[in-house]
Amino acid sequence: MKQKIAIAILALVALCALLAPVIAPYDYSRQFRDTPHATASSQFLMGTDDLGRDRLSRLIYATRVSILLAPAAALVSVMLALLLSGFTSLTTLCLSLPWIFLFIILRALMPLNTRPLESILLTFALMGVAGWAWPARIFGASIEQMKQSGWLLQARASGIGSRRIALVHVWPHLRAIAWAQLRVLVPAYILSEASLGLIGLGVAEPLPSWGNLLAELQRPEAVHSNPWVLAPLGLLMIVMICLEQVAP
Amino acid sequence: MIRVLTPRRLLSNLFSLIVIVLLGGFAAAALVRYSPGFSSIPEDLDPSISPETLQALHAKYEDNNPLPVFYARYLAGTFKGGFGISTALNQPVADLLRRRAPVTAKLIAMGTAGGLLLGALLAWMAVWTRKAYLETAAFSLSGLLLAVPPAVLALAFFFNQAPLAIALALALFPRLFGTMRTLLDDAWRSPTLLAARARGVGPGVIASRYVLGGAIPQIVALLGVALVLAFGAAIPIEVICGVPGIGALALQAAVGRDMPLLCALALIITFFVTFVHSVGDLLA
Amino acid sequence: MKRLALLLALSTTAFGAELRFSISADPKTFDPLHVLDDHSETIRYLTAGVLVRINRVTEKVEPQLAESFKLSPDGRAITFHLRPNLKFSDGTPLNANDVARTMKTALDPKQASPKGDTLRSEKGDPEVQVTSPLDITIRYPAPKPDFERLFDALSIVPAKIEKIPASAGPFYVADYKSGEYVRLARNPNYFMRPALDSIRIDIQPNHDIEVTRFLRGELDLINQVDPTNFDRIPGARSFGPSLDSEFLWFNQAPSATVPAWKRKWFTSTAFRQAISESIHRDDIARIVYRGHAHPAAGPVSPANKFWFNAALKPLAFDAQSASKALASDGFKLDHGVLKDRDGHAVEFSIITNAGNRTREAMAAIIQDDLSKIGIKVNIVTLDFDSLIERIAKTAQYEACLLGFTSVEINPTEQMNVWLSTGANHAWWPREKTPATPWEARIDQLEIAMASDPSRAMRKKALDELQRIVVEQAPIIYLVNPDYLAAISPRVHGAQPVASPPQILWNVESLRLE
Repeated sequence: MKQKIAIAILALVALCALLAPVIAPYDYSRQFRDTPHATASSQFLMGTDDLGRDRLSRLIYATRVSILLAPAAALVSVMLALLLSGFTSLTTLCLSLPWIFLFIILRALMPLNTRPLESILLTFALMGVAGWAWPARIFGASIEQMKQSGWLLQARASGIGSRRIALVHVWPHLRAIAWAQLRVLVPAYILSEASLGLIGLGVAEPLPSWGNLLAELQRPEAVHSNPWVLAPLGLLMIVMICLEQVAP
Repeated sequence: MIRVLTPRRLLSNLFSLIVIVLLGGFAAAALVRYSPGFSSIPEDLDPSISPETLQALHAKYEDNNPLPVFYARYLAGTFKGGFGISTALNQPVADLLRRRAPVTAKLIAMGTAGGLLLGALLAWMAVWTRKAYLETAAFSLSGLLLAVPPAVLALAFFFNQAPLAIALALALFPRLFGTMRTLLDDAWRSPTLLAARARGVGPGVIASRYVLGGAIPQIVALLGVALVLAFGAAIPIEVICGVPGIGALALQAAVGRDMPLLCALALIITFFVTFVHSVGDLLA
Repeated sequence: MKRLALLLALSTTAFGAELRFSISADPKTFDPLHVLDDHSETIRYLTAGVLVRINRVTEKVEPQLAESFKLSPDGRAITFHLRPNLKFSDGTPLNANDVARTMKTALDPKQASPKGDTLRSEKGDPEVQVTSPLDITIRYPAPKPDFERLFDALSIVPAKIEKIPASAGPFYVADYKSGEYVRLARNPNYFMRPALDSIRIDIQPNHDIEVTRFLRGELDLINQVDPTNFDRIPGARSFGPSLDSEFLWFNQAPSATVPAWKRKWFTSTAFRQAISESIHRDDIARIVYRGHAHPAAGPVSPANKFWFNAALKPLAFDAQSASKALASDGFKLDHGVLKDRDGHAVEFSIITNAGNRTREAMAAIIQDDLSKIGIKVNIVTLDFDSLIERIAKTAQYEACLLGFTSVEINPTEQMNVWLSTGANHAWWPREKTPATPWEARIDQLEIAMASDPSRAMRKKALDELQRIVVEQAPIIYLVNPDYLAAISPRVHGAQPVASPPQILWNVESLRLE
């Protein structure tokens, strides 16, 4: 029952995100310059931001960016982690490097007139590729332990092929860990996207994302003046709780 | 397969440690050197500075030697007890690290311990009691906290004059909880533990020998990851709350393209992570 | 009773006589001759023993370590007569030889001292002559306008400059903990006694935390209040326009990444004027700066009362004039998209520094304004070093949004910005020859200002330069932010001004109740 409710909520969120141009009251970039920092009203259900843009519209459009791209990036990381978890030295090396410079190099290589959507796609892709190391550490340790387990030894002694062992015997054990990593990586990438804004790799204006909406929480005065600033946080919390419920 | 701790294995681990640390430092240096903006300084935009002074400033901040030469000289310097002079802060890197490391170490140690304890406690409750509502509550709390940016959590604690280590623990716990729960659940379901319970083995022995004992490599791996995650979370916490630790220094170094400081941090972090992994490997 | 009086006195001395404020990052150096960043400059100012001090309210040059000074009639030399019995904070005597040594060190090319750069003239280094232990003459090879004001920024340094050197100013650096604070103590050997016992400067990067600490009474002043925090602070005040300005310019230099047809737009005065007239500066001032800014009238802020060209009016939004200018240059609207005479849709990128919320918001407003005339603007935020590389070295950008802060009062010192061959000639650094007659005229004006001793003549030349810049719009000036500050009621004697160091300029006179 809980799982069904969670799935329904996630589906609703995804649907709202896909239908953003239809259900959002206004365009996400439209500036109502006479009403910046407005509190909630019948015209603006969640108020407006510091440039007079409707918060509700921006939240709906932001969901489109984050709900699609963050899980995709997380999936890339987990898949790469599964493939590369055997290379422990490489994993350790990659865990320690300052990846921020790779992002700075990416920004330098991108043409300045890259469309915001292309830019954010590349950013999340790079996050996915660069973020494989710490799930790989977990997978690596689990696989090492499984290699020494009795049941695996017996499976090999029985002449079962490596492929079958991997898919039928090992993968079910790793699946739960993979899901645990996915649920950690999704919000981490959403939040990282906001931090990347500090080096110019976040979502470019005027495109909204959960990351850049959540960045407003770092200013307590913004929260005091309009509690709807917390809305993206609330939505992300609901999505994360629902993801827990649908976990295998 | 039983792996025995031999001198050869010890030496092999030590060799790996050294190679990985050296590679880590070199890779970090390469990333910094070849990133755009490396040869730019804010003084390039100052109209009151003459071209000659500007040239001298560039010569002071940049090392135009080929990267391998720079790195070799840098390593030679570390053997003499120094990590060079920070170009961003104009102070010896060793002094900076010496002064700031205890601040971050304390924050990370307490935060990691708190995060692991809370994660372990909730995971244990969820698995051991097999009560659905406890499991739901634990996952919900984890999901809630995953959504909150560590910096925002830290600010909330800062403004209420509460310890930042608790904020770090709360930021870390959800990132560890899922994996800990899975590890404990796997151990719970193992035939060995089932047999031990059937034989009437006490909960203390079950916990120490069958659950924890079997999961040591993963726990050590998790500890290594937890420490790296803690450092990553400590950076925005220190920056936002003005804590004079290594996290804030790391961001300053990255933004300022501070090669000596970044190389030092890369060497130290790589050593740390590799060391923890090696210990885990040896313990297994 | 006596015990109570002693306790009260001690509590006042221990608590009430230490001024507390914060800076956002560590100072890079305590060596006064090598100060480059703002935070080091704040420390330098508070510890500086200087020959003269510019009174930031009256703009007059007043004696400091020099008891008196005299300018020669030919405007080439200045003679200082020092006060007797001067000492550094460590007790070492200070006399004319120390002044001479300081000058020599600053001017030594090996030292690469930025202070030396300001002391030099186009015709060469000044000659320094010590005529007695208390008298020194500095002579320039040719007249250097307003050169006596330069000595406000030249701290006299001891013979041996340690990492934390002894100071000849009202305070000295008593303690420094990286990432935490700098503590300055009153210099017992200063020729006058400041009212403050000490100053504690915390290192606090987060402005919201700075405000919270000020509201809790843990800090006594905030030297620069962010407009978004202004309303949070009951005692915060606006002191009118600052000397700072925000502006936008187009890259006119040949660049591998800017196609020739785009460069044609950027080098067209009509195009730049149209862009300027399409921007709602009043919205930027009202929304981004919460009303604490004014539309700019040109390159010099109206806060700079003497040098500002009062005939210039704030640049205003004028859609009709903008349309006319674009039409005159062959631009046409095609289904809501502006196209040039060759059919290229007008689209360009504006780069600015990432992490600066104010500039990002300004860029968003400009993007929105220009979209209304059919121009697509892409905003690209870059980390500062990458931005500098593009604008100062590689020229791989199309337009840039930046600002000048902590500007010098005397804009005639900004030759590197306006001279075509200047390294900081924003729209085309190190241009070999002026590309247009108006740039050639600006060059002539700059060269004249560099050597003309008459302040009135330099003012006339600068007025003309400002007018040309507004007409030709190589740099599109947007707003002059106001100077906002907050001072605790327990601080007395403060006379905040727009020019740095704002509240702290008369630190010797500040006292706490």
